[in-house]
Amino acid sequence: MGKVKKKHRLVDAKRPNLLNDIFPYSMPPRISLEGSAIEHIDGEPVEFDFGAVKDRPIYISDTTFRDGQQARPPYTIEQMVHIYDLLSKLSGPNGVIRQTEFFLYTKNDRETLERCQALGHTYPECTGWIRAVKGDFRLVKEAGLKETGMLTSCSDYHIFHKLKFRSRKECIDSYCEVVDAAFEAGVRPRCHLEDLTRADIEGFVLPFIDRLMEMSRQVPEEQSVKIRLCDTMGFGISYPGAELPRSIPKLIYKLNRECGVPSDRLEWHGHNDFHKVHTNAATAWLYGCDFINTTLFGFGERTGNPPLEGAIFEYIALKGDLCGIDTMAITELANYMGSIGLPIPDNYPFVGRAFNTTRAGIHAGGLRQDEQIYNIFDTGKLLGRPPRVAITDKSGADGVAHWLNEFFGLKGEDRISKIRVHKLARWVIDQYDVDGRLTAISDQELEAKAKELYPDYWEKYKSGK
Amino acid sequence: MATVEERVKAITANVLKLNIDEIKMENNFTADLGAESVQSIELVAMFEEEFGIEMDEDAALSVQTVGEAVDFIAKVCKEQGVDVD
Repeated sequence: MGKVKKKHRLVDAKRPNLLNDIFPYSMPPRISLEGSAIEHIDGEPVEFDFGAVKDRPIYISDTTFRDGQQARPPYTIEQMVHIYDLLSKLSGPNGVIRQTEFFLYTKNDRETLERCQALGHTYPECTGWIRAVKGDFRLVKEAGLKETGMLTSCSDYHIFHKLKFRSRKECIDSYCEVVDAAFEAGVRPRCHLEDLTRADIEGFVLPFIDRLMEMSRQVPEEQSVKIRLCDTMGFGISYPGAELPRSIPKLIYKLNRECGVPSDRLEWHGHNDFHKVHTNAATAWLYGCDFINTTLFGFGERTGNPPLEGAIFEYIALKGDLCGIDTMAITELANYMGSIGLPIPDNYPFVGRAFNTTRAGIHAGGLRQDEQIYNIFDTGKLLGRPPRVAITDKSGADGVAHWLNEFFGLKGEDRISKIRVHKLARWVIDQYDVDGRLTAISDQELEAKAKELYPDYWEKYKSGK
Repeated sequence: MATVEERVKAITANVLKLNIDEIKMENNFTADLGAESVQSIELVAMFEEEFGIEMDEDAALSVQTVGEAVDFIAKVCKEQGVDVD
C-alpha cells in the first residue's frame, strides 16, 4: 500500500456546489492559470508566466484558403468570399481572427482576394502566401498586401532532399536574398520554418533567425520579419521536459528569448498526425507565441491543422470573456461548409451533427432534469444548438420525453411529462424488441409518430397556423 | 366495485404480461415482477386512466412495490375526490 502524505476531511454540504466560477454554463468553462510553469532548458530552470495569457494580446490566424484548400477540391470564388465574410463576423470587432492568407498565382486567386478586400472588413487582414522566389513579391505588391508568408524550410530533409541545396549556408543565403527582396518591395516577410520539429535547431534554425533579426533592424518595425513555426508533420510535443526539436516550449523559448523575436511576431502552425494539433497550438500561446494558425474545422494537409473553432473556444476560456466574438457564426459556417460538400463527422466537437446528442437513456434522464448535467455549456445560446437525444433501444422513457419536448419546443410547465410519452416510448422499444431493429430511429420517423400520437400538440406547435 | 388492490393487480398483470395470481402485495415491480423502464411509466399511465386521477410523476415512479402502489393510489384518490372501495 502507498504512503499517506496528507489526510483529507469531508466537507459536507446540504446544497450543491456547482463550481459556477469555473463552469458558468452561459460561457465555455474557464481556464484559470495560476503561478508560473518551470521548464528546464539547457540545464537551467526557466519560468513562464501562464497567468499573463489572460491579459496578454493573443490572436488566431487563418489558413482555410491556403492549407485548408490544399486538402480538398478548390473552393469557388463565391464560396471563399462568403466564408471570408463569415470569418469576419465570427472574429468580431476586436479582430480575434486577426489574419487570413491567400494564394496569389492565378487569376481566380487574385479575383478572390479583390472581392474579399472589397467587402471592407478590417479583420481578418488579408495576407499572401508565396514561394521563396524574389519575383513573386511583384504579386504581393500588385495585390496591395503588406505581408506575405514564404516558405523557408529548415530541416535537412527539406534543405537537401526536397530543395536540393548543396549546403546549409547556400540555403540560408538564398532565403535571406528573398527576404531582402521583400524589404525592397516594402512587404513584410513572414518566414515559414517548415518542418521545424525535425530540424537542427542550434545548428541551422537559430543562426538563421539571428540573421533575420539582424536584417530586420534595418527596416521599419512594421516590415520586420515574422516567424511561423511550422510543425509540418505533427511531431511537436507540449509536455514539460520534452527535448528539441520536438519540444514546443523549448522552440518558443529559443526563438523568443534567445533570439529576441517578439511574441507578436511568432506564429504556431501545426498538423494533426498524432492527434495533438489543438493542444499543441494552445501550448504555443501559453509559452509566448501570440498567434496560432488554424483552419475551419481543422481541414488541411493530410490530417489537418488546428481547428479554428477549437481555438475560438480556447481563447474565450483563457480570457474569461467573449471579447466580441460571435460564436453563432461557427454554426453558420458549419452549415455552409456542409452545404458545399465539406464532410464534417457527426461526432466532431462543436459542429458535428451529434456533438451534443446523448443516446443513453440514463444520460437523457439527467439531461431532462437539468441540461447542464450532460451539456458542456449553453450550446443553445452560444451555437444555436440545444442538446438533443438520439433515440435507440437504450434511450428509455427519459430519452423519448426529452426528444418530444425539444421537438415541440416546450419549456417549463408546458413540458410533456415522462408518463404521457408512454405510447411513443412503447413504439420505440417495440421497434427493437418486437421488430428486431438494429439502427437508431430517425427524426423523420419520430416526427411522424409524434404527429399521430399527439395531434393536439402537433396542431398547436407544428402545424404553422 | 373491485377494490383498489384488485384493480392495481389487474393492471399490473396486463402491462407486465403476468398471471394475476402471481402478483403479491410485497412484490417489487422491478426486482420481482421484471418491470422495465417503459413498463414502469405504462403502469403509472394505466393507473391514472383506470382511477381517473393525476399522479405526481416523481412520486409515482418512486413507488417500489405493489402494496405501496395500492396505498399511494388510494391516497391520491382521496385527495382528488375519487370514490374507491
